[in-house]
Amino acid sequence: MPAASAERRVSRESIAVSVRDVGMAFGDVHAVRNASFDLPKGKFLTILGPSGSGKTTLLRMIAGFDAPTSGEIFINNSPVSAVPPHRRAIGMVFQKLALFPHMTAAENVAFPLKMRRHDARAIPEKVERYLQLVRLGGYGGRRINELSGGQQQRVAIARALVFEPDLLLLDEPLAALDRKLREEMQLEFRRIQKELGVTTINVTHDQREALVVSDEVIVMEGGRIQQKAEPVHAYRSPANTFVANFIGVTNFIEGVVAARDGALVSVAAHGRTLTGVAVGDAPATGGACAGAVRAEQIRIAPRADALDRLDTVLAGTVADAIFEGERIVYEVRVPHLGDQLVRVFDHDPVNHLQFSPGDSVCLGWNARDMHVFKK
Amino acid sequence: MRKSRAAYPLTWRVMDMLEAIAARLWPARFARALPYLMLAPAVLLVGILVLGLVQIGDSSLRVLDTSTFLMSEDYTLANYQRALTESFFATVAGRSLLGSVIVTVITLILAFPYAYLMVRTPSSALRNVLLVALFLPFFIGQVVRAYGWLIILGNQGMVNEALGLVGVPPMRLLYNYPAVLFGLIQYMLPFAVLMLAPALTAIPAELEAAASSLGANWLGTFRHVVLPLARPGLVGAGLVVVTLSLTDFAIPAILGGGSQDFIANAIYDQFFRTSDQGMGATLSLLLVAVGSLLVGLVFMLFGAGTLAMTGERK
Ligand SMILES: Nc1ncnc2c1ncn2[C@@H]1O[C@H](COP(=O)(O)OP(=O)(O)OP(=O)(O)O)[C@@H](O)[C@H]1O
Ligand SMILES: [Mg+2]
Repeated sequence: MPAASAERRVSRESIAVSVRDVGMAFGDVHAVRNASFDLPKGKFLTILGPSGSGKTTLLRMIAGFDAPTSGEIFINNSPVSAVPPHRRAIGMVFQKLALFPHMTAAENVAFPLKMRRHDARAIPEKVERYLQLVRLGGYGGRRINELSGGQQQRVAIARALVFEPDLLLLDEPLAALDRKLREEMQLEFRRIQKELGVTTINVTHDQREALVVSDEVIVMEGGRIQQKAEPVHAYRSPANTFVANFIGVTNFIEGVVAARDGALVSVAAHGRTLTGVAVGDAPATGGACAGAVRAEQIRIAPRADALDRLDTVLAGTVADAIFEGERIVYEVRVPHLGDQLVRVFDHDPVNHLQFSPGDSVCLGWNARDMHVFKK
Repeated sequence: MRKSRAAYPLTWRVMDMLEAIAARLWPARFARALPYLMLAPAVLLVGILVLGLVQIGDSSLRVLDTSTFLMSEDYTLANYQRALTESFFATVAGRSLLGSVIVTVITLILAFPYAYLMVRTPSSALRNVLLVALFLPFFIGQVVRAYGWLIILGNQGMVNEALGLVGVPPMRLLYNYPAVLFGLIQYMLPFAVLMLAPALTAIPAELEAAASSLGANWLGTFRHVVLPLARPGLVGAGLVVVTLSLTDFAIPAILGGGSQDFIANAIYDQFFRTSDQGMGATLSLLLVAVGSLLVGLVFMLFGAGTLAMTGERK
């Protein structure tokens, strides 16, 4: 089977980072447990997770600042646990940027080139080229404290990229920026990453950022990788209730499995039977389960007849209407679900703010939009 | 009504009362003078010091009449001439200046790793041990410590006994220049560490991690990141050590055994041995002048801003 092995070798060579069963324990705190993933060259991976889920710890191990207590990390297919950070070709942008305050922007960008003994004559030209890449051409002479937050951010990016690292690590470098600038910088990251084709691992707890910039997303919680998938996939088919809850706004309906029919599951909840699709480890009949429906997949209407093409229709009362600019969020109390509050997005461009608290409404969704997880 | 009273804590009411009293004593329109008022005690203290300096200046311009042991009525520069021409004073001054520079350099070299380890170690047990070891000498005092060295370094001391065990004949370890410098370094080390530690704490550890990920080994990180950022602390610690050792009295007196006098010892001799107040005052003023010159020079070389006294650097 020479063809197959050749193919496997090619695919192996295209892997930039491979994390194998990596764990990290600080005393009896397990910051990361059994993390494994492969990242192909040139891809943009985002690690998404709540505070304290082990994102920074994982990133620091890849950068070489901390040694894993178990497992091994491979960069370009060689194990790196014995390689100190300064011998790894990794550019890192820190959460607090870590720019050198006693140097100018240009000196900061030139620092890795000097330390890595690049040809001294080529350094100024290269520094200017990378400053231009991050749209800071001509700002080289400024001291760090003479630059705005966003400009400092870009100096840090130029500094991490200028020595053409195999891998770029970003530890929530956008967290401190205001929303508008953050969104601009997210697109900027994407542009630069595409332009240079550098493999990138980005850490964030901003789910929007993860979805916008990434080729792949890893969702972490409690030190464990919960799911690794393309953004669309992670959003559309979350692997478990944690991911479903963490990305997007999701309503959970708890109940027991009443019947199974292939992928379709009937869920008995509060005396009603709702139909959804099973996810992952299919729950057995009679087992506790949770049906997850995203807020934007629920239609809202004044009467049930407007929703008659949907599989599940429930009546309720509007408890609150929250104006968020581009959309309205209705919180609807549903008596048939034990007075549970269900959140619904309404983008209706015609009937703006059509309901107010106290109005009777009907909610409806398709069976394929309710994911049923084992509890 | 009662309820709102209860919600207003007693401490707040006390504060209100104090504020009202303060407003009586110091109406709001005087507010701009308040900083100066708070400055007054310090200015007063410095003022007294200046008065003393004037008095000393006056004494320095009179010579001692060796027949009557009285100070002359007329002003003369004879003391200054003697101080600047007699080789004894030049030797003492040279010894003190050279000594304080050597002590400063060695102390800073020794204090830096100590302070660095203390600030950066992840183990709080080690940090506590280092801190206690740092403060312990302060409880012992300079003179007692110098006597301790007499015991340890004496001809029958621990060091010579240990050397004897390996067959080295007893050596004279005391009453020479190296002994004085050794004693001074040992005395200055805690001061230098205490001055350096805050400066090193102010350098985020992330900067060092960043430097290493950018390709700098520990030497590169130290030279290009830690050292330049620690400069304010180094300058401050250096100034403290250089002035304290230049003006030190006890260590040269005890560990030098009279043969290794520093300027302060010479001044003491003039005041209390030969009772030549004029000469003593002259030497004191010259010491003040040399010390100020040194500090001025450091400021000129590194800029007063390096002491991190200007708010501009962050
Ligand atoms: N040096 C350390 N010593 C002890 N525990 C640590 C250390 N560093 C991290 N931890 C613990 O490990 C867990 C993961 O921390 P980590 O910094 O990786 O979280 P994170 O996902 O980056 O969170 P955030 O989004 O808040 O930055 C936390 O519970 C944290 O308290
Ligand atoms: Mg973090």
